[in-house]
Amino acid sequence: MEPIIECKDIEFSYNHAQVLNGISISINKGDMIGVLGANGAGKSTLLKIITGILEPKSGNIRFKGEKLLTRNKREIAKIIAYIPQDQVFAFPFTVTEVILLGRAPYIGRFEFERDIDRDICSRAMETVGISHLQHKLITAISAGERQLVSLARALVQQPEVMILDEPATFLDVKNKTSLMKILSKLKIENGITIIAATHDIFSALWHFDNIKVLKDGNIYAEGKTEDVITSDILSHVYDINVTVKKENGKLFVFPED
Amino acid sequence: MNTRRKFLISFASLFILWIVISVIGLHSGTYKLSPLDTIFNGDELSKSILYNIRLPRILLATLAGGTLAVTGAALQALFRNPLASPFTLGISGGASLGALLAIRLGLAAGVLGFSMVTLSAFAFSIVTMLFVYSVSKVGGVVATGRLLLAGVVANFLYSAIVLFIQFFSNFTQSLQSMRWIMGSLDVVGYGQIIKTLIFIVPGCLILFSLTKEMNIFGMGDDVASSLGVDVRRLERKIYFATSLAAGAIIAVTGPIGFIGLIIPHILRMILGADNRIIVPCSFLFGASFLTAADTISRTVISPVEIPVGIITAAIGGIFFLWLLMKTKKEVIV
Repeated sequence: MEPIIECKDIEFSYNHAQVLNGISISINKGDMIGVLGANGAGKSTLLKIITGILEPKSGNIRFKGEKLLTRNKREIAKIIAYIPQDQVFAFPFTVTEVILLGRAPYIGRFEFERDIDRDICSRAMETVGISHLQHKLITAISAGERQLVSLARALVQQPEVMILDEPATFLDVKNKTSLMKILSKLKIENGITIIAATHDIFSALWHFDNIKVLKDGNIYAEGKTEDVITSDILSHVYDINVTVKKENGKLFVFPED
Repeated sequence: MNTRRKFLISFASLFILWIVISVIGLHSGTYKLSPLDTIFNGDELSKSILYNIRLPRILLATLAGGTLAVTGAALQALFRNPLASPFTLGISGGASLGALLAIRLGLAAGVLGFSMVTLSAFAFSIVTMLFVYSVSKVGGVVATGRLLLAGVVANFLYSAIVLFIQFFSNFTQSLQSMRWIMGSLDVVGYGQIIKTLIFIVPGCLILFSLTKEMNIFGMGDDVASSLGVDVRRLERKIYFATSLAAGAIIAVTGPIGFIGLIIPHILRMILGADNRIIVPCSFLFGASFLTAADTISRTVISPVEIPVGIITAAIGGIFFLWLLMKTKKEVIV
């Protein structure tokens, strides 16, 4: 299968601190990829580079074999959607208004949203299960609900790839589970490729097909989830002893003191 | 209601409001006249007052109120901060210092029909903006916290210099400076107004064209960038368009406070947060507000004119506090 996204020898540094040291990865269409790694390993930076938000110092990213950065930003926004870890909502927009912003790449500078945009928006709200929030102010709903709003906003971009940075950070167990279910659904029903950085090893274990593990700006391990999530690898990456056990066909991870 | 309808209805309503307030403004004043009567069968004096004094004054109030409100709305979007306005960024402080220096040095001559006071005020406000902007850049990126702080500090610094100059000025100069700092819409004829348009029209048009991107920008740099916005370029465009427009109008009218701060907020409470509606509507609402305030300042203890800045701050402040207390919701972020 031809990969949808290929990164080759990606290097990046902030000021003089090297963050990524020549990373090469390849991601297949329709995969759900988890990116693991300790704080500061370079996960967020890698995701921003794949999204086209940051330009790598060297190396290149290809989308379906074509160099990503030869496209302009609006064109990229139609194929790759991004949901950040820290969400900023500077204005008291309604939920619907926020989600409609995801249609921006399809709407001209002096145009307003068309009926088709509003239809796409309603469908996205249904898919994510937040239709009841549509008239609420984004500043007046919970962090978990905002995360779902961002997901709907990304969905109306009609992307082929969705990139999420720590999507489950502010969510409780219930919301986390439903978010993961929605992501799996998007992957299966819409064929969207999903790449998510996460600290949550359990959701990585149970929901992602493939895992990339970053350590100090390098790919430390990658492959099928079961092959990558091992005591050995996790202990090295997080610098603590970790036990991985399998019970009833499911993997469990226990950090030790 | 969809956004386009909401925009059209709001814009049309505010336009009517502005027309009504302007007509009342033309009527009112120490010298009583009826605009229609005067146009068709007025005497020389009435015509002269209408055409050369009242109409230009209302146009200036419209331009000043509109420009200050639009630049305030744009700066609030740029800094994702409800306290941003042309005043917080040192534009008014710079303009005041420039004007005072020209007054103190007795620079009387003008260039291209602008008085030296106006030119000096404009030059100082632009230099201040550039200075504040360059100070607030860290690694090529504008740090909004630094920018606001630099603007506030510049204002304090300037006001110290202004007081120092005042201290060593004679009574006439001191009075003249004081009058300038209070802000005034006193204008005769259309020369000044047409010349400020050279800066205001492009400045405001640029800002109107960026409203969609301002909305996206409100979601943070990364999301905006991922949605196709060139964030750094947008920042520069908003910054320079506001400097030009606000600098030009403040140089002519002096600092008229409060409009840039409160007009966009009041509109957001009523119309929601969409900048495609708020920014253009701010022009009409700011224009109406300042025209009304100026009419009050000319008539309330006529023939004495109260400086219009006092009226805008008093009415605006009280109204704003009332709105704040009434809408204790999350409308203001």
